[in-house]
Amino acid sequence: MSEQEQVGRVLASEHSSTAEFRVVLDGDNYLQLDDLVLVRTQVPKRGEVRTYGVVTESQGIFEGASFESDTFRIAEEGTLPAEKVRSAQVAVTRVDPELWVAPDPGQMVYRASGDQRDKALYVDEMGRPLPIGIGRDDEPVFADLDFFDGRKGGHMSISGISGVATKTSYALFFLRMLTSRPDIVGDAAANLRVLVFNVKGEDLLWLDKPNRYLDEDAATAWGRLGVPPVPFPSVSFWAPPRRQSGDVVVPDTGGRLEGVDAFAWTPREFIDEGLLRFLFTDASDARNQLAFVEERVRLQLTRWAVDVAGQPGAVVLRQPPTGAWPAGESVTPDQGERVLTDLHSIVDALEELLEPIDGEEPDRAWSGRTQGGTISAFMRRLYSAQHRLGHLIRAGESRRIDRQAAQVTVVGIQSLHDLGQRFVVGALLAETFEEKEHTGQRLPLSVIVLDELNKYAPREGRSPLKEMLIDIAQRGRSLGVLLVGAQQSASRVAQEVLENASIRVAGRLDAAEAERSEYGWMLPSTRARARLLKPGTMVVSQPAIPVPLVLTFPFPAWATRREEVGDEGDPFEDL
Amino acid sequence: MSGLYVEGWSPEYGAPLDISDERMAASPIDPSVEDGEWSARPGVDDGVEHVLFVDGVRRVEARLTFDDLADGIVPGIVGAFAVGATRWDRTVPRSTVGDVLVERLAILGGGIKPELPPVPGLSVGAESIASDDPGQLIAHLHSRMRRAEADLSARLASTGTFVIADGPINELRAQPVVGFIKTHRVSYLGPEHLALIGRLKAGERTPIFLIDAQYPRYSWYLRLDELPDAHSWTAIVRCEAPAALGIEDAVTLADRTAALLPIVASKGHVDPRAPQNLVPIGALEKALRHRLGDQAMVYRALRGAVGSERRASVVGG
Repeated sequence: MSEQEQVGRVLASEHSSTAEFRVVLDGDNYLQLDDLVLVRTQVPKRGEVRTYGVVTESQGIFEGASFESDTFRIAEEGTLPAEKVRSAQVAVTRVDPELWVAPDPGQMVYRASGDQRDKALYVDEMGRPLPIGIGRDDEPVFADLDFFDGRKGGHMSISGISGVATKTSYALFFLRMLTSRPDIVGDAAANLRVLVFNVKGEDLLWLDKPNRYLDEDAATAWGRLGVPPVPFPSVSFWAPPRRQSGDVVVPDTGGRLEGVDAFAWTPREFIDEGLLRFLFTDASDARNQLAFVEERVRLQLTRWAVDVAGQPGAVVLRQPPTGAWPAGESVTPDQGERVLTDLHSIVDALEELLEPIDGEEPDRAWSGRTQGGTISAFMRRLYSAQHRLGHLIRAGESRRIDRQAAQVTVVGIQSLHDLGQRFVVGALLAETFEEKEHTGQRLPLSVIVLDELNKYAPREGRSPLKEMLIDIAQRGRSLGVLLVGAQQSASRVAQEVLENASIRVAGRLDAAEAERSEYGWMLPSTRARARLLKPGTMVVSQPAIPVPLVLTFPFPAWATRREEVGDEGDPFEDL
Repeated sequence: MSGLYVEGWSPEYGAPLDISDERMAASPIDPSVEDGEWSARPGVDDGVEHVLFVDGVRRVEARLTFDDLADGIVPGIVGAFAVGATRWDRTVPRSTVGDVLVERLAILGGGIKPELPPVPGLSVGAESIASDDPGQLIAHLHSRMRRAEADLSARLASTGTFVIADGPINELRAQPVVGFIKTHRVSYLGPEHLALIGRLKAGERTPIFLIDAQYPRYSWYLRLDELPDAHSWTAIVRCEAPAALGIEDAVTLADRTAALLPIVASKGHVDPRAPQNLVPIGALEKALRHRLGDQAMVYRALRGAVGSERRASVVGG
C-alpha cells in the first residue's frame, strides 16, 4: 500500500452520509476539485469500511465571523479573533466492501493515490480500462471499454458550445486512444475502422501530419497515456469533386489536395443502394406523400435501370422484359435513348416519366395514384438536389469511398450544402450499417464520428437519416457500429440517440443548456462548473462510475490546420 | 435518604444576573499626578505590536442540595468558568484566542465539602463556603473566575506584553496591565474635574488620577466613540493600571489605550453592549462560552452520575 497523506477529517458538526460528506482540512494541506479521497470507518460487527470520494467543491470561512463587516475586523484590523477553516465537499464514488454506511465524523481523510485511486475510480473492476484523459493529479482517468465497444454498452455522446467545448478534439483524442492501445482494446482492435466526417472547416484533414506546436509537456502527457505523441498513422482523406472539374476529378478542398481522393457515386451505385432516399432528408419531407413517391420511384429505378455497354457506371431506363433486369446485363442505348450519367440526366429522365411536358398523364408505374401537387413537390426537391449535390453522382470508374483503405477514413463534407451533407452522411452510414447487418458480427468494430448530430438526428420530425441514426443507436451496439456523436445542445438531438450513449461527455455548456434534463447525469456542482470549463477540459460520465469525472486531454500530436503542420524532415536542413 | 441531589430546577433559577465588581470610592483620590492642566489629552499609538485582552465567563451548570437528614438541607451549585485571552498581533494584523482554561466546581454551603462521584468526561473540583446563602455560592464562583483572570493577566504581563483585563485590577506589581471598566456606578472625581469627561472627543482621555486604595492604582477616563443622540457619558470607559508602574509608564499606557481602544470598540448593530464591549473581548466571551460545552449535556451527565451512585449505594448497602 502506498504511503498515505492525511489531508483532514470528516466534518463533525454536520451529518455525513453515504452520498456526500465534508472534509475539514488540516491547516497545512489542501484539496482541490476532482481530488480523490479515502476515509476508513470502523463499523461495529462488520469491521473496516473504506469510503472513496471525489471533491466536488472547496470552501473556506472565518469561524467566528457573523457579520459581513467582521471580514474587515478579522482580516484588515485583526481585532476580531476568528479561525480560518477550509473544507471540501466530497461526493462518494465507492464504498468498499459494499456496506452502505456513512463515514464516521471526525475520521481521518486521506488523499487517495496508487491502488486507492484505482479503487476510487473502479479501475480495479474494469474489464478493459482505457485511458480517456488525465485527472487533475496528472494521472490517467479510465473508462471501461466494455461500455463503449458494445459488450455492455455502446456509443459516446459529446455536448458543448462550439469553439470552446473542443468536442471534435476530444472525439479524435478518444479515437487515438482507441486505435493505439491494442494491448487494452484486445480483439476488438483488429481491423477496427473509423469513419470521421469533417463538417466544418478543414480541421480534420491534417490528422496524419505532426503538429509543430506539440511541446514537451504535451508529449509527456501522451506518454502517460501510453501513446507515442505522433499523428494518426493510417488515415485516408476523401472529399467531393470540384463542380467544374470536367474529366479531371479534383477534390474540393481548400488547403490540402495532396493525399485527398475525390469521391462520387455512379448512377448505377446511386440506384442500387437506393440513395434517392437520402435526397429527402428534410424533417418536413416525411409529413406529406413525398416519401411514398420516393419509395415508388426508388423501386422502379432498380427495376428499369440497365447498364450501358462501354460506359461504366452509366445506365439507361428501359422497361425490363420481366420484373427487373438481371444483374450484370448491359445494353447498347437506342438512338435518342437517354443515358443516365449524372444526377442531371436522372432528374430529366424522371421528369419525363412523372411530369411529361406535353400534358400527357404520368406513367402510373412510376407515380402511383399520387396527386399532381405531390409529384411537383417531389420534382422540386430533385431540382434543388441536382443543383446542390449533382456533382456527387457521375458515371465512370467507381469513386466510392474505400473504408478499408486506412484505419481512419476522413470524409470532408464541409464544402457541401446541408442537403449534400445529409446525403453523404446517409449514404455512408447506410453502407456501413448494411455491411454489418449482413455479417451479423460485432467484430471488426466500425466507429462513426459525426459532429452536429442535431442536423442529422433532430429531436423533432422524421427523416430516413434520423431513423437510421436511431437504428444505429439502438442496434449498432450488438452489430459493432458505434457512434461518437457530438452536438452543441443535447436537447436538440433525438432522445433515442442520446439515451443509448453509454459514455457521455460535456465540454463547456451554455448556462441555460446546462440546466436541462439531458444533463441530469451531472452533479449540481458539475453543472455549475460546466459553464466555466476551459477548452480541453471535459466532464465524463460512464456507467462504471456513479459520479461524473472532470478530466483534460493532451494537446493533439496531429495538426488541426495547415499552419500547424510541422516539418516532416526537411531535406535541405543540413545544407 | 441522605446524600447529594441534583435539583430538577433550571440552574439559572434565582441566580443573580450581575455581580458588581465596582468597589465603593471611599479611597482618597489625587487628580494631580500627571503633569499639565486638567484638560483632554489625545491618545498616542506608540506602535505596540501585541495587545492581549483577558476575560472570563461563568455559568451555573446545576443546583445541588445536600441532605444529611440531621441538620436539614444545604444548598450548593455546580458552576463552570472559562478564562482566556485574545492576542491581537498588530504586525500581521490578526487576532487569535488562546490560553483558555476551563474549570468546573461543585460548591456547597455550610462548610461542607461536596463529594461528587466521578462524572464521565468532566473534571469537577470540590469547594465549600461557610454561608448558606445561595447568592454567596455564585459570588464564590465569580471570585474564583476573577482570580483565574488575574492569574492569567499576571502571567501574560510578566513577559512584558501589554494586557487589557476586563474589570478592575488587583495588582501590586509593576506590570503593563490595564483594567477596563465599562460601567460607572461610582464617581471618583469631584464636580470641577468631572465636567471634562462630557467634553472628551473620541480617542481622548482625561489626565491620570491616583486611587490610593488597598491596591493603589492610576486611573483615567476615555471616550471610545462619539454617538449621535446620546448622553455625555455614553461611550465613556474608565481604565486603571497598577500604581507600582510609576507615572511615566502609566502615561504611556493611558495614551496607548486612548488611541487603541476606539479601534476595537464594537458597533451598535453588532453588539447590544456597544461600544464598550470591545470586539476582541466580545469574541473571546463567545469563544469561551463555546468552550464551556453544551449545558444540557453537562447537566445530564451530572444528574446521571449523582443518581447512579446513590442507586448503587442503596443496592450495595
